[in-house]
Amino acid sequence: MPRYARPSTPDEAIALLAEGGWTILAGGTDFYPAQGARPIRDDILDIGAIEALRGIREDKGDIVIGAATSWTEIVRARLPMAFDALKAAAREVGSVQIQNTGTIAGNLCNASPAADGVPALLVLDAEVELASTRGIRRLPLRDFVLGNRRTARAADELVTAIRVPTASAAGRSSFFKLGARRYLVISIAMAAVRVETDLQGRIARCAIAVGACSAVARRLERLEADLVGRPADAAALGVIGERHFDGLAPIDDVRASAVYRMEAAREIVGRALADAFGTTAGQGVAA
Amino acid sequence: MRSADTPFVRSAARTDLDLHLRVNGRSHRIRAEARETLLDVLRERLGLFGTKKGCDHGQCGACTVLVDGRRVLSCLTLAAQAEHGAVTTVEGMVEHPVGRLVQAAFVAEDGLQCGYCTPGQIVSATACILEGAATSDEAIREAMSGNLCRCGAYPNIVAAVRSAAAVVERR
Ligand SMILES: Cc1cc2nc3c(=O)[nH]c(=O)nc-3n(C[C@H](O)[C@H](O)[C@H](O)COP(=O)(O)OP(=O)(O)OC[C@H]3O[C@@H](n4cnc5c(N)ncnc54)[C@H](O)[C@@H]3O)c2cc1C
Ligand code: FES
Ligand code: FES
Repeated sequence: MPRYARPSTPDEAIALLAEGGWTILAGGTDFYPAQGARPIRDDILDIGAIEALRGIREDKGDIVIGAATSWTEIVRARLPMAFDALKAAAREVGSVQIQNTGTIAGNLCNASPAADGVPALLVLDAEVELASTRGIRRLPLRDFVLGNRRTARAADELVTAIRVPTASAAGRSSFFKLGARRYLVISIAMAAVRVETDLQGRIARCAIAVGACSAVARRLERLEADLVGRPADAAALGVIGERHFDGLAPIDDVRASAVYRMEAAREIVGRALADAFGTTAGQGVAA
Repeated sequence: MRSADTPFVRSAARTDLDLHLRVNGRSHRIRAEARETLLDVLRERLGLFGTKKGCDHGQCGACTVLVDGRRVLSCLTLAAQAEHGAVTTVEGMVEHPVGRLVQAAFVAEDGLQCGYCTPGQIVSATACILEGAATSDEAIREAMSGNLCRCGAYPNIVAAVRSAAAVVERR
């Protein structure tokens, strides 16, 4: 029979985690489905009452999102335009009911290949902050999510925050998700992009990530490099070629075939770039 | 699962919780297991059968309730997690200033067929209007996408939400 604890500070939570045997419960939207048809057996460490893990703040220019911040809180927060992709992803997570309780760290720790938060945070060069009685460490997101349902988190570690470095909070971003229907759907493929332009309207920096087409969402570094220096307009999309998607390894499953996923990835990367260019390259500032 | 009469009950002492729940303005003290969901507690222990169990997996919205005004899925919430909040179920809608109007609109617009999804639809629609999300039919469809209706009463559900939102607007 499971035990239940609801600490109010991160220190109490990591002290319990050091004892071993506890499973962290945040919003619970992945926790329950993971229990399957069986009754819940894990000892439950409910982090929902730890105020210090909620909300978004600035720390030395970095933007720090508390681990237990809900998707709804992210949608409503005032954030730089570089976070538009993250906000768009937040609006795609399940339904409003799911977004009201589901948290950003829960999405990362669950490590589903189809986690909508991952591509949007990859283009922001996000870092994951972990705490245990042994100390605090920070990992780039790409080193945190290791595989399908696998992360670098040790059993005694609590994710305390997601941190976006100042330098990466710049530019415009966009997110596209393709599912079998419009709402309440797990992604077949999704793409996030962030584009910074120079005064001449050329691409100065860009970050592109694709999810659901490999065990872990990936950045397309070759495409990023090939786009830098080009004018941020529709013509730049012409450079996108098959070679840029080499790193992806989509699977065949009930939602889509591998071939379809690859096609979809190319299409939505193009759309997301066009969307980000449209707003970065345009004269007027979008409302 | 280990049964209660095994010798290893030391930790079991901490698994039964004394919970104080506030539901529709009334206080309830219950003893519940840590793993009991809010949905099961509402239905099985408090006798509030309005909240429905459609899927028990977060996919249908039939179990939607308000916790501190936010719409959440009671099948994905432990009763213990709701202890510090105010829970409002469909039974509480008669006394809810917006919920009351939404209920009336569902009747007037015929927003149901078998009615199984309806308690969840009404609670969800109430929150949707208070969130300011009921701005157009398209926006209503998106904001209500977490509530499925197997009977396909969607056109009338959208009409009910639209008309209730219009009444709220005029006040
Ligand atoms: C119907 C439905 C639809 C969904 N649709 C989508 C979708 O479209 N896109 C999508 O990406 N996801 C979707 N999800 C999955 C889920 O809602 C999200 O991944 C959500 O962000 C998970 O957050 P949570 O707080 O609910 O996690 P929980 O269920 O509380 O936790 C998930 C996992 O992370 C661990 N964990 C949580 N917080 C921490 C922490 N701070 N430190 C260490 N470990 C932690 C938990 O132990 C658990 O293993 C859906 C889920 C449901 C039920
Ligand atoms: S019963 Fe909770 S969402 Fe279906
Ligand atoms: S009215 Fe029958 S499920 Fe909606």
